[in-house]
Amino acid sequence: MFPILFLAVCLILRIQAVYAIADYHERLLLRPLPHNSLLASFNFRSNASSVSFDEQNFRYFPRSLGQILQHAHARELHLRFSLGRWDSENWGARPWNGAREGGTGVEIWAWVEAETAAEANARWLTLTNALSGLFCASLNFIDSTKTIRPEKTFLPEGTHINQSMRNLHLLHGTLPHEVVCTENLTPFLKLLPCKGKAGISSLLDGHKLFDASWQTMAIDVRPVCLSEGCLLEMEQTVDMVLDIDRSKRPHDNPIPRPVPIEQITCDTSKSYSSHDSCYPLRKNVEPSWSLAEVFGRPLKGACPLESGEASSTVCLDVPSERSVHVQTDGSHHESKLNDNTSRCYKLPVGSNLDLVLPEQELAAQPSLAEPPLYASRSIVGHGQERGGVQATIINPTNDTANLVYLESLPWFMKPYLHTLRATVLTPGVLDMTQHAIKETHYRPALNRHRGTHLELLLSIPPASTLTLSYDFDKAILRYTEYPPDANRGFDVAPAVIRLESQSSGQTFLRTTSLLLPLPTPDFSMPYNVIILTSTVMALGFGSIFNILVRRFVGADEVDGRSKLAMKVLAIKHKARLLFGLLMLKIRGKGRKAE
Amino acid sequence: MSAFTRALLAARRNPNILRIPPYLSALCIIVGVVWLLLLPLNEYSRQTYVSENALLPGQVHTYFGGSEHNIFRAHRHEVFGLRESSMEERNQRLEEIFKDAGLKVARQKYEYTAAGKTISGENVYAILQGPRADATEAVVMIGAWKNMDDVINYSGVALVLTLARYFKRWSLWSKDIIFLIPPDSTLGPTAWVSAYHSTNPFPNISPLPLKSGALQAAIAIDYPAGPWGHRFDKLHVLYDGANGALPNLDLFNTAVSIASGQMGLGCTLQRMWKHNDSYQDRLVTMLRGMVQQGLGHVSGPHSSFIPYHVDAITLQTVGDGWHDEMTLGRVMESLFRSLNNLLEHLHQSFFFYLLMQANRFVSIGTYLPSAMLLAVNFSITAIVLWVQSGRPAKRNDLTSPLKGKKTIASSSSSKEKGKEAGNENDEGEEKEDEMTLIVKSGDLALVPTSTFKIVERNMFLPIALLSILHFLGLMPLYILNHTPESSLPTTTAVLLISTLALPPLTTSLLLSTPLHAQLTPRTLSLIQSLSLLLLSTSLSTLATLNFSLSLLLGLLSAPLSFIRPISSRSSPKLLLSVTLLVLTAPPVVLVVVCALVDGTWQRGWSKVVGKVVEILVRASWGWHVSGLWTQVVVWLVWWPAWWIGGVVLGCGLFVKDEREMDKVVGKRK
Repeated sequence: MFPILFLAVCLILRIQAVYAIADYHERLLLRPLPHNSLLASFNFRSNASSVSFDEQNFRYFPRSLGQILQHAHARELHLRFSLGRWDSENWGARPWNGAREGGTGVEIWAWVEAETAAEANARWLTLTNALSGLFCASLNFIDSTKTIRPEKTFLPEGTHINQSMRNLHLLHGTLPHEVVCTENLTPFLKLLPCKGKAGISSLLDGHKLFDASWQTMAIDVRPVCLSEGCLLEMEQTVDMVLDIDRSKRPHDNPIPRPVPIEQITCDTSKSYSSHDSCYPLRKNVEPSWSLAEVFGRPLKGACPLESGEASSTVCLDVPSERSVHVQTDGSHHESKLNDNTSRCYKLPVGSNLDLVLPEQELAAQPSLAEPPLYASRSIVGHGQERGGVQATIINPTNDTANLVYLESLPWFMKPYLHTLRATVLTPGVLDMTQHAIKETHYRPALNRHRGTHLELLLSIPPASTLTLSYDFDKAILRYTEYPPDANRGFDVAPAVIRLESQSSGQTFLRTTSLLLPLPTPDFSMPYNVIILTSTVMALGFGSIFNILVRRFVGADEVDGRSKLAMKVLAIKHKARLLFGLLMLKIRGKGRKAE
Repeated sequence: MSAFTRALLAARRNPNILRIPPYLSALCIIVGVVWLLLLPLNEYSRQTYVSENALLPGQVHTYFGGSEHNIFRAHRHEVFGLRESSMEERNQRLEEIFKDAGLKVARQKYEYTAAGKTISGENVYAILQGPRADATEAVVMIGAWKNMDDVINYSGVALVLTLARYFKRWSLWSKDIIFLIPPDSTLGPTAWVSAYHSTNPFPNISPLPLKSGALQAAIAIDYPAGPWGHRFDKLHVLYDGANGALPNLDLFNTAVSIASGQMGLGCTLQRMWKHNDSYQDRLVTMLRGMVQQGLGHVSGPHSSFIPYHVDAITLQTVGDGWHDEMTLGRVMESLFRSLNNLLEHLHQSFFFYLLMQANRFVSIGTYLPSAMLLAVNFSITAIVLWVQSGRPAKRNDLTSPLKGKKTIASSSSSKEKGKEAGNENDEGEEKEDEMTLIVKSGDLALVPTSTFKIVERNMFLPIALLSILHFLGLMPLYILNHTPESSLPTTTAVLLISTLALPPLTTSLLLSTPLHAQLTPRTLSLIQSLSLLLLSTSLSTLATLNFSLSLLLGLLSAPLSFIRPISSRSSPKLLLSVTLLVLTAPPVVLVVVCALVDGTWQRGWSKVVGKVVEILVRASWGWHVSGLWTQVVVWLVWWPAWWIGGVVLGCGLFVKDEREMDKVVGKRK
């Protein structure tokens, strides 16, 4: 339908696959991380040409999702389910530069085509409600209070024709308290052509996925226009960091009992070392693991629907000295990539494959990519009335970092923008008054209608720390507005940070979510009884005390007042009466005039 | 209702009614004290129970044991090896051990100054990020390097290190767990928790480089056994927070039910090493708890957390028995598993309670009336004094019914037609009393004129005096909190003498100024009334915040509601009042209590002085570090009230007789 073809989009994937109209690719990247962790990054990509999509002719693209998108006029959709946090100090840079992950809970943003903002809101509601049913998530709770329209943070990934871009509305919503679980994974897998029966998706087991230290599931739908024509591309991503020790524990014995003392290597150099004292020696070896051990099930061959003969599906990011044994009945193909730190395997069709890595001491630890930013955020202050938020963003690089900082706050958290302070701390530089905030987009909250939307353009000098802080008031909710677990507190969505970099890809970073304790009434019965009793007692005491202490004196009995005072009083009375009459007359006249 | 009102109106004219209140006040005090003494009985106290269902104490199997014991011993040797190294070296090594366990470690420096001393230190803490947690909630485990008795907490710190390594293996943590090792039990935890909850308002505390979510609970271990271990008998659970705030009873109950129910480890509290569940033991436990709460000082590393609404307790090992460190480790494991189950902040159970045994308590509804009755006794006296201050000064009228009986007008209609005033001089007996003839709906009545007389209360002097004396309370408060330790004995002596000298001095000052003309008995009772009213309001407000402090102050200032101006100098009443006042003077009480505690007086005067100084130093540290406000109550509520009591007694000796005053006033007219 699109008349002219536009830019080719640079993909984030390292392997540049040749695009064919309507195809399906999947890929798994495994990268051992320090501290016995393993990053597993699953990526599934399916395409549908926009012609077939418009004709509702689906092949790889899931029909259920496609129809929802058509109905809601969503041109680009990004949906995230996340759990845990990425430990950037130990694990380095984020997979996909953070572009395929979301904040804790559920996050969704979409470009919806609509003539007016009201229409966009209505379509957005349709979209979230439909997706809520599809993914068994509480997405339907994303109402106007949880929806914002970011200005700078999110840029469309797909190709949108300029003309229609004008009618595209970006809406963004989060559910920080949503607990992501297997019920969200099942519909996710059902969208795949092989539905978790074959291919790398056969490794995705709910038990292991949700036992991971960090995991995020992402769905991205975007229009892409190439020379052959326009197509709608859907990317499904699952990233997780598994604790190898924890994942290797068998299903029937998951308890980490203390290991027998014979299996612990003790530090015998210690003076106190004896049969009953053992300081465990820190192992400097890479742990052994295999796909079947870590994921709890074997890899069931390639997904036969995968297009492209030469594609290598499973890639392993290990140094070349690490030995890897491939166990399979079928035929596999191993290829080493140019940088020599990763090897890829083409999966056999119809037979299982397992990669086994024995325990091995490595000469040099593989270096990890340094993350471009570190960010943390916390609530400060205590008490029921007010608090503060403090966010710390560290730029470890040697370049100035320009970034967009987005906060979407619930309406019951009322920030004071005049208290917003950004202090930059550069080692060796004493000047604290650098202007870090370049631009502010602020849309204040309306009680019970919309939340606060705060977007800041920040710039952090090289090797500096930016501390952002502001104060807020806590609103008092109506008693029906409290959830059943009122004393837990209320979740505040993570802040989203986008680094503006020269390279084509987008670099994102999200802080952890916050728990905001609000003033909570005591919902217990004794409290109500106390209140009622106190009220009755106060009433009784008050009236009796009043009678006891008050002196009853007739007005004419008062001889403390002089006659003059009495006259003044009488005059006052008369004046008031006259004034009242006058007012009545004026009003009467006014009515007549009408 | 109208009949009731009429009865009340009639009663307030009854002169006898003013005789009742002193007895009523005394009754309030007696009932208050008896009420307190009844609390330990089975009928008035309750068995503790876990209110929060999510806690499920003792429902999980604990696995801490086996090879972990070897690792624990190694850690204890490591900790023992650090006993002589500097704080820097020690924290370096602790940081390494935590890092070996795969945790994130950070340190925090702080510095506090009080009582002429500056103490600095450095906290080291590690965060175990819950594998499924999202950094919104955290639980703290504290092993202070030195406990409250300044003994190195070898096994406690070693247990924290071992548990940190052991907990890391579990995947079930839904909250972050923070392992905190402060160098001492008061300053370190306070610095840490205040930095955790603030941006950085204190220049003396550095901010925390690493933070987690909202703190849900904190458990401290105090187990100072050396490298060869020490088998203990019981767990001593410390639960008092700063300023008498208490942790949620559920946390205490969980600890007790896990220790005694799951591990067979007896629990004890308030240093009651032997408790045989008798009335007397329960009472002593309760009273010790009340004194501890009333003083409001920090009792362990957990105390600093409670003001920030983080429920916290300290588990201390006591006695010689057969339980070892593994039992304590399993108690901690089970306790943290229970806390891990929490879905909400601890809120279900009581925050206001008195414990009299590990499994018996009284809740606020049951015990509060005793403190309130004590506070009410002052209110009653204040109301009486107020009424008295507004009465005309004719004693005869008040005591005896009218002698000149005429027809008393009793008309049902409320309309009063007129009033005629006239002197009835020819009535033989009633020469002094002026009578008024009232004509009401045709009836005549003779009523003493004095009943119509309106007595204006002169409020200026009482209010000015009250404000000045209360304001002066800031002086001892400031002086005691800013005096270095070395000069505290002198300061205390000066304070003691000057406090005792203040009432006579104030009296002579008042009498030597022109103000003394206003010092009538009526003014005196007005002064006393206002002072008692203030005392009563303060104490009843305080009772809801710190019950024990309110009760103790109420008892100590009880004599104030019975002191009346006494004009005769040889009266035994005067001697009694003066003795009572001197005995209940705040500095005298401090010294006497210090002398009596543990029989210090038998060991010489210097020991008593030492004890007094120790308490004042702790109070000063408490003021500067944990925001203790016991002193504020003592110096701004109790001390001025006592002072005014003394002034009232002193002025009573000198003020002129009522009738003389009246004559003076009459002449002026």
